Amino acid sequence: MHSARKLGVIFFPAYDWAISPTHPEREERLLYTQDQLQEEGLYDIEGVREYKPDVATREDVERTHFCFPDVDSVSTRSHHISAGGAIRAARLVLEGERDRAFALVRPPGHHAMKVVHGSRGFCNINIEAVMVEWVRENYGRKRIAIVDTDCHHGDGTQDIYWNDPDVLFISLHQDGRTLYPGTGFPLECGGPTARGRTINIPLPPRTSDEGFLMVLDQVIAPILADFKPDLIVNSAGQDNHYSDPITDMNFSAQGYALLTERLNPHVAVLEGGYAIQGALPYVNLGIALALAGVDYSRVREPDFDPARLAQDPKVTDYIKKLCDQIPRIYFDPPTENQDGEVRGEWFVRSKDIYYDTDNINEEQTEMLHLCGQCRGLLRVETKSTANPLSLGLEIPVGACARCQDLGFRQADEAQLKGGFRYVQLIDRVGKQYLRFGF
Amino acid sequence: MLLGIDVGGTHTDAVAVDESGILASCKVRTNHDNLLDSIEAALKGILAQVDRSQVAQLNLSTTLSTNAIVQNRIDDVGVIISSGPGIDPENFIPCKDFHSLSGSIDHRGTEIAPLDPAELSRAVKACRAAGLKSFAAVTKFSTRNPAHERQIKAALGQGAGGGADFVTLGNEITGRLNFPRRLATAYFNSAVWRTYNRFADAVAQCMTDLGLDVRVNILKADGGTMTLARSRSMPVQSIFSGPAASVMGIIALTRIHYDSVILDIGGTTTDIAIFAEGAPLVEHEGIEIGSHLTLVRALKVRSIGIGGDSAISLTQGVVRVGPNRLGPSAADGGDRPTLTDALNVAGASLYGDIARSRRVLTQFARPHGLDPEDLAAQAIKAAAAKIQAETRDFLAEINEKPVYTIHELLENRRIVPRKVYIMGGPAEAMKMPVFREFQLSTEVPPDFAVANAVGAALTRPTSDVELFADTEKGVVLIPKLKYEGKVGKGYDLEAATAEAKERLLTALYSQGVSMDAANVLVKEASSFNMVSGNRLAGKNIRVRCQVKPGVAFTLREA
Repeated sequence: MHSARKLGVIFFPAYDWAISPTHPEREERLLYTQDQLQEEGLYDIEGVREYKPDVATREDVERTHFCFPDVDSVSTRSHHISAGGAIRAARLVLEGERDRAFALVRPPGHHAMKVVHGSRGFCNINIEAVMVEWVRENYGRKRIAIVDTDCHHGDGTQDIYWNDPDVLFISLHQDGRTLYPGTGFPLECGGPTARGRTINIPLPPRTSDEGFLMVLDQVIAPILADFKPDLIVNSAGQDNHYSDPITDMNFSAQGYALLTERLNPHVAVLEGGYAIQGALPYVNLGIALALAGVDYSRVREPDFDPARLAQDPKVTDYIKKLCDQIPRIYFDPPTENQDGEVRGEWFVRSKDIYYDTDNINEEQTEMLHLCGQCRGLLRVETKSTANPLSLGLEIPVGACARCQDLGFRQADEAQLKGGFRYVQLIDRVGKQYLRFGF
Repeated sequence: MLLGIDVGGTHTDAVAVDESGILASCKVRTNHDNLLDSIEAALKGILAQVDRSQVAQLNLSTTLSTNAIVQNRIDDVGVIISSGPGIDPENFIPCKDFHSLSGSIDHRGTEIAPLDPAELSRAVKACRAAGLKSFAAVTKFSTRNPAHERQIKAALGQGAGGGADFVTLGNEITGRLNFPRRLATAYFNSAVWRTYNRFADAVAQCMTDLGLDVRVNILKADGGTMTLARSRSMPVQSIFSGPAASVMGIIALTRIHYDSVILDIGGTTTDIAIFAEGAPLVEHEGIEIGSHLTLVRALKVRSIGIGGDSAISLTQGVVRVGPNRLGPSAADGGDRPTLTDALNVAGASLYGDIARSRRVLTQFARPHGLDPEDLAAQAIKAAAAKIQAETRDFLAEINEKPVYTIHELLENRRIVPRKVYIMGGPAEAMKMPVFREFQLSTEVPPDFAVANAVGAALTRPTSDVELFADTEKGVVLIPKLKYEGKVGKGYDLEAATAEAKERLLTALYSQGVSMDAANVLVKEASSFNMVSGNRLAGKNIRVRCQVKPGVAFTLREA
């Protein structure tokens, strides 16, 4: 048996890591998926191979996040292997060893934002972002699209790429008015230098295969065709499944496989999905087969009943309207500032962030230097119930000499004047990641 | 005293050994039309040299099942399966009488949909109409719940009146998961069942005729043995055991420390095996039989068509050896020059009719304007170079993937051989040519010519079991032992591990094998809390135990 495309699967079930013994994010989560893939003989298909994950280094994380007080305090070895699994997936494709790769890893990462004080939405470090930054560090500046099909808004990934015009982030998710984290509305569409590079598609509860595929065909496909990414990454959360215990959607294994086939991402990375017995084994199999270009028509859940999952016409009408309106956000983004204001040479926005998993409150002021030459220096002042006031400075990929200089001057100044417990500097031009205050 | 017989492609070798060393050995030509003849001749050759009352055991490595498949002397098999959701089983059809039924069992062994009785009875009728008597019943996740496979077996009925002579149930082969491999393995097991059992009957009769009332074991490809009785229902496990006999032979004869290459140069083929950290490598899941992947465990071996009897050919000035055997060597009375003849002419060996070797090789060389010495030298070099190239290729393939030895998975380990061991008939003669190609220390162990039979004689039994327990359902299964029990909520990993070991040893004991518990390795032991709602519902426990391959004792010099 042959696959049409060469697929690499990186399987890391983190069988020794759980948030708590009965938490949805527990050791058992990928057990039945592993059983199903083994019983199907997935790795015996010629063209499909299993690979071991890399381990993301501290530098890989520091390149992506401001972690306070430091990387080791907010993440474990399992997180580094999970992120390393995503890196391995991208490496397989970029090195040409495989056509497609699927990082079937946990713990997940898409709720982890630029600044990390702890765990939110079961996520500590953003595994797709660590992967994307690894790719850019090693393969130069690339245009990358991240399509997040987890049922929860990928607010972490959105935050990290808010000001980055080279990374297109598209999230389709259950409407934030009905589900954690309560964000992800269409007008959240990127910072002043990257407007229209964040696309949010909030779907109504009980959206079925029909609705998801309609959005894919009418919104996502045309945007991707215009953006022309070098690499498409799918944050393949599986909690849109009709049997998921913590969401309220009607997506099926067949739907996920179809979506994967049509989106045709280079790399898929598992995110959420907590119907571990009734959905994950079938959804993961469907995604793997679709990536490999192998017939998946017989992959279905034991209790699959298309009639029961048929989409309410009202839901269909609502999604049709979304499909009419959302492409404008990308093709003709709004110009007015939604969530901040210009102060001199800086664009300033304030955020209050709650880390539900670790029960931490964070207050944050994010300042983007409106440089005009480059993406601009990013300055984040943050304090939380876990850490005193601290500072993060990022000299972004492709920064101009002035912004680079400004970044170092501000780091010096912050140390001299004091007031910040920890200072972290990400210098993507000089490829150095400095921490002060330890 | 232990007897070992290895039926090879060209010769059948036999030895008698005890802890003092090799007491007798015997080599006869293999008669492929009647393997039992060769076995009987080899056995008589040995018994003429030793006191038969001292014989405690006979271990036999036979190519019977392998040949039956290669030569298509196999039964038509009715294969009845049920696969539930997943990859289309049409991809795995092994033969023409293939029936796929609806019905499904999930990964926890829960019946999702029953077998359709009407479909089942149609399939049985169709098989009967086709006159089939051998069957394979395989359902997805049958290792977690064998009910559907048993139901198929029951529907087929037994014996006369259209019933089945034999049914292989997938779950009884192994508890490991892999439906397509289980399907292929069950098919081949039923396909060779009849031929194999006739052979087993003949072996038993032959032993009676010779007055030998001793235990007979059959070698498996994994470097272990099984009892003759067990082999009757699992004949597929006897396939490709020849290379394993040689590898176990070298373990008995030599202490191997480094990453090494083992070459067994036989009459028809050279088997290449690799040792890492002193232990032979194994196929991770199982070998391929006729383009079907199976669950038959085996040592990792590559066979190439170069042996003493491989014909020498010359096309456009290029000398080749093998891969074909076109009759015996001239030294044995044949008419085509072979590697053996080249070694005779080159003065590297003194085998059989040396004058005839020279005459036939000279006749072959003359039309090409070559001296026989030249041709011989070129042929020997070509054979050694081919062996080296194949070894390099084999190592590259191995180093691409995780490496498993008989003991363990070696993490991120690259194998870089530092030594070559050669055995088989032409071993001594090929030592220098092989050394020149490999540029590695090359050793021919003592008793190299019968290392395979020594390995056969000394190989210990192996066996493995997988235990699966679900304390929410209150069940424990060891499919291979057909064991199903009830467990309470308190059943845990420790109890499961102890139970798996104990039941494995007990099962061996009931077959007459007493095995030291220290030889049982726990290869996997895991326990997962299953949660339902917000409540701990039970534990999902998996344990895999294996008797590690080994030899009863070694014949290494102190």
